[in-house]
Amino acid sequence: MALTIKQQLSSPGGILKFLVKYNTIFIFILLVIFSAFISDVFFTSVNLSNLLKQVSGIGIISIGMLLVILTGGIDLSVGSMVALLAVMFAILVNIFILPVAILFTLLLGFGLGSISGYLVAYQKMAPFVATLALMTVARGMSFIYSKGSPVTFTTVGGQFMSNFANNSTLGIPNIAIVFFIIVIMAMVMLRYNVFGRLIIAIGSNEEASRLSGIKVNKYKFLVYAISGALAATAAIIVASRTNLGSPNMGMAWELDAIAAVVIGGASLNGGKGTAINTLMGVLILGLIGNILNLLNVPSYPQQVVKGVIIIFAVLLQKFESK
Amino acid sequence: MKNSEIEYRLEMTGISKSFGVVSVLKDVNLKVKAGEIHALLGENGAGKSTLIKILSGVHQKDAGAVVLDGQEINPKNTHEGQVLGINVVYQELSLVNDLSVAENIYLHKLGANKIWMNWKSLTQDAQKLLDSLGFTIDASVKVKTLSIVQKQVVEIAKAIAEDTKVLVLDEPTTVFDPNDVKKLFNILSQLKKSGVSIIYISHHLDEIFTIADSVTVLRDGVDTGTMAIENTDKDGVIHLMIGRELNDLYPKRDIKIGDKPVFEVKNLTSKNTLVHNVSFDVKPGEVLGIAGLGGSGRTETAKLIFGADKKKSGTIILNGEEIETNSPVDAAEYKIGLVSEDRKEEGVFLPLSIRRNISVTSFDSISSKLGFINIDNEYKKVLGLIEKLNIKTPHSEIDVKNLSGGNQQKVALAKWLSIDSKVIFIDEPTRGVDVGAKIEIYNLINEVAKKGVGVVVISSDMPEIMGISDRILVMHEGTVYGELAKEQFSEENILRLSIGEPLKKVSI
Repeated sequence: MALTIKQQLSSPGGILKFLVKYNTIFIFILLVIFSAFISDVFFTSVNLSNLLKQVSGIGIISIGMLLVILTGGIDLSVGSMVALLAVMFAILVNIFILPVAILFTLLLGFGLGSISGYLVAYQKMAPFVATLALMTVARGMSFIYSKGSPVTFTTVGGQFMSNFANNSTLGIPNIAIVFFIIVIMAMVMLRYNVFGRLIIAIGSNEEASRLSGIKVNKYKFLVYAISGALAATAAIIVASRTNLGSPNMGMAWELDAIAAVVIGGASLNGGKGTAINTLMGVLILGLIGNILNLLNVPSYPQQVVKGVIIIFAVLLQKFESK
Repeated sequence: MKNSEIEYRLEMTGISKSFGVVSVLKDVNLKVKAGEIHALLGENGAGKSTLIKILSGVHQKDAGAVVLDGQEINPKNTHEGQVLGINVVYQELSLVNDLSVAENIYLHKLGANKIWMNWKSLTQDAQKLLDSLGFTIDASVKVKTLSIVQKQVVEIAKAIAEDTKVLVLDEPTTVFDPNDVKKLFNILSQLKKSGVSIIYISHHLDEIFTIADSVTVLRDGVDTGTMAIENTDKDGVIHLMIGRELNDLYPKRDIKIGDKPVFEVKNLTSKNTLVHNVSFDVKPGEVLGIAGLGGSGRTETAKLIFGADKKKSGTIILNGEEIETNSPVDAAEYKIGLVSEDRKEEGVFLPLSIRRNISVTSFDSISSKLGFINIDNEYKKVLGLIEKLNIKTPHSEIDVKNLSGGNQQKVALAKWLSIDSKVIFIDEPTRGVDVGAKIEIYNLINEVAKKGVGVVVISSDMPEIMGISDRILVMHEGTVYGELAKEQFSEENILRLSIGEPLKKVSI
C-alpha cells in the first residue's frame, strides 16, 4: 500500500524528497504567499475570481492536453480549435435552441479531434505534424466562418450563457466550477478507471502495451477526440464570457496548455502526469500573470518570466527523477 | 613477411573478462597466422562475441594480452582498432540507411581532415570494389533501398576497403543463399592469399569445414583448444562445443499431460519474416521447448501466433477450434499469453508500479462495465501474485525499474498468470536472471503447467530447455527442423538440428 505522508517524512532525507515529489504544489503555495505579501489587492474576492475566470478556458484544454501527453503525443490544434468552435457556437446559438447548440459544438470538437486521432493512431502520423496541420486548418476555418469579424450572441440562449459564464455560485465563478468538475473527472478517470490506466501504460511503453493485448490505436484515437471535445467546452465558456465568438480567440493557448502540463510534472515522453498537478500548473501560470499584472509589469517582461519559470519547474523535476 | 620469427599475426593470450559478477571469458587463447582462415566456434553465450569485441576495442579486457605483428595492442575503441587494421563485420548490420552505398563503405574517410570530398571518385572507387567482389550493387544508391543480402555485402566491402590485417566475420552468411556463400568464399580466398588473417564465426559446420584452416572452440568462456581443420571432424567439434552436466536447477516434472492438444498451429507462414510452414501442438500440462540458434525464427513464430506480425497462411487452433489472431488484442482475448524476450522494451512498464504493471491485463475481472476499477480487488489480486511469485519488494507501489532482473521477469509473468491464460509463450524466461530467481521461475513454469495450461518455452540456454521441457522442437532457418522426445534430449542432438544436420543414427 502507498506510504503515508508521515512515513515518507521520517525516512532518511525524507523532507527533501517530499518537497521534491510534491514540488508543483509547493511552488503554488509559495507563489500564493508571495503574492499575498506583495499586493494588497491579491486576496480580494474580485481579484481571485478574475484569476479563476482567466485560467478556466486554458485549464480545460490543459486537461485534454494532459491526456494526449500521457500517451506520449501532443495536440497543437487546441488553441485554433477554441477559435473555430467559439465562432461555431456563436453561429449555432443564434440559430438553434441552447442545448442543441451546445451539443453540436461538443460533437464538432470531438469530430475535429477525431481527425487528429485518426491520423496519429491509424495513419501513424507524428502527433506534432498531424495536429500542426489541424491547427492551421482550424484557424483558417474560424476566419472563413466568421468572415473575419466576431460573431455576437443575439438570442435568449446566448444571453443565458453569457449570464452563466459571468456569474458565480457560492462565490466561485461558474466557469471555474466547470473547470474543477473536469479536473475531478480526469482525476477519477486516471486513478480509478481502466481508460486512464491504459493511456498511462501506453505512454510509458507502447510496445509492451501492444503485447499486453491493449487496444493501443483505439485509446490513442480517443485521447485526441476527447481533447477536441474539451476544446469545445473551453470555446463555449470563453465565447459566453464575452458574448461573442471571435477567430482571434485562443491564440497560442496550446503553448500555455503544454506549459501548464509540463510545469505540473508530466513527461512529454508520456506515461507520467496527474490531473491535480496539471491543475497546479494552470494555477501557477495564471498566478504569475495575475501578480505581474497587479505589479503593473508590462506584458513582454511577463512572457520572459513565464519562460524562466517553466525552465526551473522542469529542472526541478530532473532533480526529482535522480 | 618482414619478420620471420613472428609465427602468428595475432596472438590473444590469457584473455579474461567479467561483466559485473558474471565471468564471460576465462583465460582464453586465440592465435591466428597471417593468411589463415581461423574458425571460432561455440554455443550461444560461449563468449565468442565478447572475445571479438575485446579484439576490436568495443570492450576492454580484464586480463591477458593482445599482440598484433609482435606489438602489444590495447584498442580503447573501435576506431583505434580500425587504425590498427582490425575490422569486424558484425551480425547486426551497422550501416547508415540514409547514406549512399559508397558513403557507407568509406564512412571512416568522410571525417578525415579534408574539407572537400571528391564524391565522384569516392563513388567510382566503391563501385570498383563492389564489382571486384562479384556482386551487382550500385554504389550510388542509398543503403535503405538494398536487400538484406546486399547490405551484408556492403558491410563486408566496408571492412575490406580499409587496410585490413585482421578481418572478423560474425555469422556473415545467415542471409545468404548457397550461391552467395560461394561468392563470399571466393572473396575470402583472395584476401587470404594477400595475407589477411580472417577469423570466421559461424554455426554452419559445413562452411567451416569448407573454408577454414584451423578451428578454436569456446565453451562457457573457456577455450577448449585449437586444432588444424584436417585433424578434426564435425562430431569432434560438436563434442567440444557441448559437454556439461545437468544439475538440480530444474524441478521434478510429474504432471499428467492431457491427450488432446490445447493449442495447435498448422503450416504457419509469416508475411514479413522467415517463418514458414511451422506446425506443432501443445497439450494441457505440457511444457514444450523451442530451441534453435538466434535468428532461426523462434521469437518470430511466437509473435506471429500472438498477432504481433501478419500471417500469410496457416491455421491456429485453440481447444479444437480454429481462431484468428490478427492482433495481440485478439490473442489476449483468447487467453494466449506472451512473455517477451526483451523484458525492458516489450515486457514491463519500467516507470510504473508493480500494481499497475500486473493489473494491466486483468481489468476485465476487476472493473465494472463502465471501466471503474475495484481498487480493493486490484490490491488483493496483485498482492496475492506478489506473494505467490515471491517478488521481492516492500510493497506493490514500487516502480518496476527499481527491481532486479529476476523480479522484473516475475512481474512480466504475473501479467499473464493473472488472467488464467490457456497457452503461454515464454521467450527466454531467464535471460539476465540470477540463479536463485531462475529456480523460482522454473518452479513457476511447472506450477502453471500443472493447472493444465500449455506452456511453450523458447530458450537458447540448452541445459535450461532440456531441464524444463517435456518435448523440444528445434527450429532452423524459419521452420521446425526436428522434434526431440525426452529420451532423445542431448546438447548434441539439439545442436545438430539447430545447424541443419540430421541426428546421428543410434547404433543398436
